[in-house]
Amino acid sequence: MRAILDIAWNELRILFSDKGIWLNLVILPILISVAVGFANGGGASSSTEGPRLVVDVIDADNSTLSQQFLADVRAANARVLLCPIDNDEADACGMGETALLPEVAQNRLEDEASLALIEIPAGFGESVLSGQQATVLYRSNEDITAPQYILQAVQVAAQRAGGAQAAVSVANEVASDLSILEFSDEADHATFEQGVREEAQALWASDPITVEYVLASVEPQAEGTGNAGFQQSIPGIGSMYVLFTVLPLAAMMIRERKQWTLQRLVTMPLSRGQILGGKLLARFVMGMIQYGVMFGFGLALGIRYGNDPFALILLMVVFTLCVTSLALAVTTLLKTEPQADGITLFMSLTLAPLGGAWWPLDIVPEWMRVIGHISPIAWVMDGFHSLIFFNGNLGTIIVPILVLLAMGAAFFAFGVARFRFE
Amino acid sequence: MHQNMVEVRDLSKTFKRSNGEMLDAVKNVSFDIRQGEIFSLLGPNGAGKTTTISMISGLLTPTHGDATIGGHSITRQPLEAKKLLGVVPQEIALYPTLSARQNLEFFGKMYGLSGAALSKRADEVLEFIDLKDRQHDKIESFSGGMKRRVNIGVGLLHQPRLIYMDEPTVGIDPQSRRRILDTVKQMQTEMGMTVLYTSHLMEEVQEISDRVGIIDHGELIAVGTVGDLIQKVGEEDRLILKVGSQVVSELLLTRFRHEVEGVTGATHEQAHSNGSDGSATQPDGLIIVIARRGRRALPDLIRVANDSGLDIVSVEVREPDLEAVFLHLTGRELRD
Ligand SMILES: Nc1ncnc2c1ncn2[C@@H]1O[C@H](COP(=O)(O)OP(=O)(O)O)[C@@H](O)[C@H]1O
Ligand SMILES: [Mg+2]
Repeated sequence: MRAILDIAWNELRILFSDKGIWLNLVILPILISVAVGFANGGGASSSTEGPRLVVDVIDADNSTLSQQFLADVRAANARVLLCPIDNDEADACGMGETALLPEVAQNRLEDEASLALIEIPAGFGESVLSGQQATVLYRSNEDITAPQYILQAVQVAAQRAGGAQAAVSVANEVASDLSILEFSDEADHATFEQGVREEAQALWASDPITVEYVLASVEPQAEGTGNAGFQQSIPGIGSMYVLFTVLPLAAMMIRERKQWTLQRLVTMPLSRGQILGGKLLARFVMGMIQYGVMFGFGLALGIRYGNDPFALILLMVVFTLCVTSLALAVTTLLKTEPQADGITLFMSLTLAPLGGAWWPLDIVPEWMRVIGHISPIAWVMDGFHSLIFFNGNLGTIIVPILVLLAMGAAFFAFGVARFRFE
Repeated sequence: MHQNMVEVRDLSKTFKRSNGEMLDAVKNVSFDIRQGEIFSLLGPNGAGKTTTISMISGLLTPTHGDATIGGHSITRQPLEAKKLLGVVPQEIALYPTLSARQNLEFFGKMYGLSGAALSKRADEVLEFIDLKDRQHDKIESFSGGMKRRVNIGVGLLHQPRLIYMDEPTVGIDPQSRRRILDTVKQMQTEMGMTVLYTSHLMEEVQEISDRVGIIDHGELIAVGTVGDLIQKVGEEDRLILKVGSQVVSELLLTRFRHEVEGVTGATHEQAHSNGSDGSATQPDGLIIVIARRGRRALPDLIRVANDSGLDIVSVEVREPDLEAVFLHLTGRELRD
């Protein structure tokens, strides 16, 4: 372990002995993220800018209360676009003249034309008013990130509309709908209901700020503090620059082989694993420093990154590990330094835009979004969007994390198997 | 204690070339290096010296065979074997953007040194290679000879009992070369080290070595002391007659062999050398005559040449040396 740290430290010292490092590590990425941040609407964003969350609504009740309920959903998350009620000239709902019948809504959900469906049954208003159980049906597609926030918005609305009772219903519906919970028997179910009711009541009765929690985190955008552009460009350009700082491992390894320092290390009483481990560790640290520089700069600007700093850092760690492994894999395919410089630059400049580092993938066609997900950048950006735009947590980014880990493991296995010291 | 510091047995390495052909770079090489001696591998470029050193330092896996260092197999107990060993690669294996001292301290750590011991060893080595005053300068600012000295210094950091030096005098001026050769001698006499030295230059090998192995096309074709090896070619001298661009007939060479006493061979070689103004190249003919007691044969050689109307521009008499041994064993010149 000692030797690994010494090798990594030496590597970092070599990298930082080049004064040009500051240009590439700090100055350029910050300048670019500012430029891209403004281009993405960083300066003048309104509450509706950034990706919109298409939510279909079938309001069979159409009462004052159901409209109030929907207004609350809107207020809880300004990105939510209720369809067809709030459809615009440009047909953001993407439904043309079609009437939103239940089958149509179901199909749209399955085709991911909408992220969620809220069904308000007839009699909803009356039930709430009479204090009976009122049910709002909430369905979501399998999309990994967004529905959590819509769900939160719906829950806020439900709480407002019907208090604790409505929350229980929604939770119930949601629980069965998402089939995250299975009840072994009625007693079990009753216990669950009781638990939810108690929790919801506690929530309702306690500090109103607890309810505000969901709102507050959405508020900065709703009030247009104007950082949506930077919330895209800091992680986007940051991730691209992680590629720029980590992938040159390839050229560096080739140079070390050429100048024989790598071979010299092999003739010393060290294992090859220690040598490679030290080199990879140094690159991993460089990647994390790069993220640190970018997110630190954003913090200084007052950019918010959501509510889960632990998940945010974990996401960066996993992405940087993945890219470090990618760098190792690429090293084994290249022979000369100029070749390595060219190929790794090319890779960075294709993987970054393809994966949505320059602009959110929400604005590109579906097929490009799918192709884009061959890039690790797409996955880390999914994670960042979930955490930053939608106040996600570890649970909402578990898929990106697992995919990045799997990609990283594959690159690592390939790289280690093929790497040659001599 | 083993009497042999290094034992190399049946070592072979086959490379697959980029064109798919197989190349036997080292073929069944066996030799021993005794405790405290300077053992040299002498051979032309491409003979397999570096490949051999790479295998017995644990860098390349032998296709066949094995070597032991202080009794530890380099393939099966590499860490134990490597601890006894310092290596000076043919390349300047240093980090150019780090200072001499930073290089020494980093590699010292890799040999397991740390703290005050590391600092002390770095000082001692800097003293030994006479670069104390330049220790904080970057390697990239050093001359070729200074880089070579640091390259050697790294191999000495952990005070190994054995050091491999792969062509440590390549590409440097005569003064620096002299200095390095003195250093190698010093390692043997003052530090009691065992040295494996490689070179394609017979003069330096002849000067410093206790024993020499001659390697060519991957094969070790002779091993012994310089004296032993020279014995192999007998007492024959080589006479090198410069004849410029004149035509040399086969008849003249035959006359040399038959009419001059002691001559056993005569060949004509056409070389090209730069003109004195350094611009054009001129044909530069040589007649190489092998003769017992060459100096005595000289007057007769000149007479026969004059008879045939050939002007001899200059004459050089070479007493038997490793160059002659190589020529004798391979039919080729070492410098080719
Ligand atoms: N990695 C390699 N792949 C293929 N051929 C090699 C490799 N290393 C050396 N060779 C070949 O092996 C032969 C011996 O090389 P080397 O050991 O470097 O010779 P020397 O050190 O005596 O000059 C040469 O023909 C060289 O081209
Ligand atoms: Mg060599």
